[in-house]
Amino acid sequence: MSEESTNIYHDKVVIRLIQFSIIWALAAMAAGVYLSAELIWPTIDLGQFWLSFGRLRPLHTNGIVFGFGVSALMATAFYSVQRTSHVQLFAPKLAWICCYAWQLIVLTGGLSLLAGLNTSKEYAELEWPWDIAITIIWVCFAIVFFGTIATRKIKQIYISNWFYGALIIVIAMLHIVNNLALPVSMTKSYSLYAGAQDAVVQWWYGHNAVGFLLTGGFLGMMYYFLPKQAERPIWSYRLSVVAFWAFTYSYIWAGPHHLHYNAIPEWVQSLGMVMSVILLAPSWATMINGIMTVSTAWEKLKTDPALKFIVLSLAFYGLATFEGPMMAFPSVNVVSHFTDWTIGHVHSGALGWNAMITYGTFYFLVPRLVGADLYSVRLANMHFWMALAGTMLYIMAMWGAGVSQGLLWLSVDEIGELSFGFRDIMASMAPFYGLRLIAGLIFLGGTALMAFNLFMTVRGREVVKVKIPAVDPAYGVAS
Amino acid sequence: MSTQVYSFLLFKSLYQPAATFETLSKANPSPFAILFRYSIWLLVLPPLFAFIGASNFGWRLGADEPLVLARESLILVSLGYFWVLVVGLLTTAIISEWMADTYGADAPFGRHLALITIVGEPLAIASAAHLYPSVFVNILVIIPSLIWAMYLLYKGIPIALDIPPERGMLMASSLVGWLLVAAVSLLGLSMMLWTLGVGPLLGV
Amino acid sequence: MSGLSLHKRIEENTGLLIFGILLVSSIGGLVQILPVLNQESLETAAANTRVYSAVELTGRDIYMREGCHVCHSQQIRPLVAEVERYGPYSRAGEFVYDRPFMWGSKRTGPDLHRVGGKFSDDWHRIHLIDPREVVSESIMPAYPWLVSRDASQAGNITAKMRGLRTLGHPYSDEEIEAAAGQLQGLKEIDALIAYLQMLGTGLSEEITL
Repeated sequence: MSEESTNIYHDKVVIRLIQFSIIWALAAMAAGVYLSAELIWPTIDLGQFWLSFGRLRPLHTNGIVFGFGVSALMATAFYSVQRTSHVQLFAPKLAWICCYAWQLIVLTGGLSLLAGLNTSKEYAELEWPWDIAITIIWVCFAIVFFGTIATRKIKQIYISNWFYGALIIVIAMLHIVNNLALPVSMTKSYSLYAGAQDAVVQWWYGHNAVGFLLTGGFLGMMYYFLPKQAERPIWSYRLSVVAFWAFTYSYIWAGPHHLHYNAIPEWVQSLGMVMSVILLAPSWATMINGIMTVSTAWEKLKTDPALKFIVLSLAFYGLATFEGPMMAFPSVNVVSHFTDWTIGHVHSGALGWNAMITYGTFYFLVPRLVGADLYSVRLANMHFWMALAGTMLYIMAMWGAGVSQGLLWLSVDEIGELSFGFRDIMASMAPFYGLRLIAGLIFLGGTALMAFNLFMTVRGREVVKVKIPAVDPAYGVAS
Repeated sequence: MSTQVYSFLLFKSLYQPAATFETLSKANPSPFAILFRYSIWLLVLPPLFAFIGASNFGWRLGADEPLVLARESLILVSLGYFWVLVVGLLTTAIISEWMADTYGADAPFGRHLALITIVGEPLAIASAAHLYPSVFVNILVIIPSLIWAMYLLYKGIPIALDIPPERGMLMASSLVGWLLVAAVSLLGLSMMLWTLGVGPLLGV
Repeated sequence: MSGLSLHKRIEENTGLLIFGILLVSSIGGLVQILPVLNQESLETAAANTRVYSAVELTGRDIYMREGCHVCHSQQIRPLVAEVERYGPYSRAGEFVYDRPFMWGSKRTGPDLHRVGGKFSDDWHRIHLIDPREVVSESIMPAYPWLVSRDASQAGNITAKMRGLRTLGHPYSDEEIEAAAGQLQGLKEIDALIAYLQMLGTGLSEEITL
């Protein structure tokens, strides 16, 4: 389990985390598919509490964000921080603890949700014992990551590490503050905040969980793996510096756009809107940086299916980071809030950006980790088209459903009376939900292809022992 | 050259896209000629179908009474739809020309305009679904036509602009990125206009 | 230019980087949250808003447990169509005893903030056991298990109320002592219905919008 020599990168923990990440992706996406089926045929839960929509939904969100997402982020952070620092992982045993303890937290957390232990705060549904466990393991993650950077042999801290660093620090801050609660039993607690105040804190957390976990962390992934795959440096270093700090500063303010026309002070709502629009700039600056980097490396596309995923992920990143600020305008939000348009927006980011860039990274990284070729380039290409089709179908289904809902809910006739009853509007959503179900099945199918492909790639192989290369004195620290 | 180019663009692109793109790669059509003798026919189809469908059948939600808008607002909406398509076509062609340099393409603007029009043709034809005013049916019809359009985009860019397939793939993906943003902007802009009072009656 | 050389310093120092990130990322939260946490009007109960009784609190926790907030919002926006459909828009003062808040972020089903008193207890009972009995097109899941579980199984009500009192909810000693007894003989479905029936009753009757 531990590499003897001090001259070798610790990569076994990386591949283990990737394996867990893929397992969670399959499980959580399958849960998503089941949930979308429930919205069409509500009786498929057979009257069982553990198949009920309300209890399963957080299983899907937590499984994706904390299972699939965090495992992928830990894996890629551990891989890239070593190589950008030219040292082994600091405290490798702690890294293994992070790996396994985290999976235990996600698994038992998921079971706790099924059992009904639910704080109801989105992406923070796990009760206080799990919150404490998460904090402890997150601190371990921080120690391993920052410890590696602190003991690095390369003078400059590479940009991908700033993003992973921001992920670790900001999520810690958000998690602790938002989950402050008074326990009243081993399995139940009450939030320190109430009502409108709780709303503001919750969406400061909720939006920035998206911002620093789903966006920031994966940008760290992009900044390391894209130049690696394209075998080109990042197009503009200066742009990345400005974009990083602008990003870290502005994202935090955008939370209140989840609360337009809700019972919180108007100035908070306005601030949220303005900063959401400002946020567009650093987001797109990063996207352009990525696109321009890869556009010079186009010959790689001939042989490398992984790069296709990264390219499209950047396009969807552009879409999602444009749609977000747009939906933050009150005049658009008035239609979109509470509708499936929000769900569509979430998934254009989750499927189009997060999943696709992770898939691209995995297709690149896993063969490299075991020193083999990818088992089947054909299957990877097939996966690419399925992922693209699934994502676009999902988005269109939810745009159709969401815009219809939003407009029809608001629709009044000339004398100001409601034109449509809620039930009729809801009933007309079924075909859109059907389309979304098909989209999810396609996306899940593609993911399964990847799981098979990568499994066959590593079968019977060991993780390659990679010697840490000598440091060019021009870039090294004096030690 | 002129009349020959356009008739084959209108019809041949539907059943022999590769040959069409090949011919286009050697052509240097005037943008005005493309716009007024070819694109315009496709641009009027969606607003026309939308107007006919909405004024004769109304928009239906479930089993309820169909919603029929007043004729004046229908005309305004259709005209607005037409202009949005014109602007969309022109901006996409302009952006395509702007991006071309990054991907090693060097084609005149008229060729970009022709290419984007060809890409949009399946959607223009599929807009006949507007005659049946149901949001869901329209989405159902748009999906295969969108797949077809995207196929034409990915196939057409490298051939018509005479660049390697990988560079074409990257450029097409960047255009897809732009188109996604354009689509969602249209959505947002429409919502903004409607909630600010320019459009159907909303109780905001 | 010196900006970039300052940045080089941060890039070469782990501590500075960590500190920089923490500093830059805290500003937004401090500016938005601190004033809100100190704003008295957001902590002042509206005219008829009171703490949840033992039964209602049990019901609220069941609502949370089953994930009802995932499909039903509890936030009526100050929009003409919304006030017409659901009733007077939601005011902050109505939520001062909601720990945590449950405004929701999705309406798969209708908003429930003013559902209190709109349907009879029996209607709710049938609807919860099988929604399609009263709303044929409903896609809501059925909750038959609520009928067989005792309300006391939903958690230690005494500990809960004590905890809430620590957080500032004005429960008297008598109320807390009587709590367990009030749950006697009730099933979970009764508690949930009691909670639903008081939703939205926290405003003064004079308010119509």
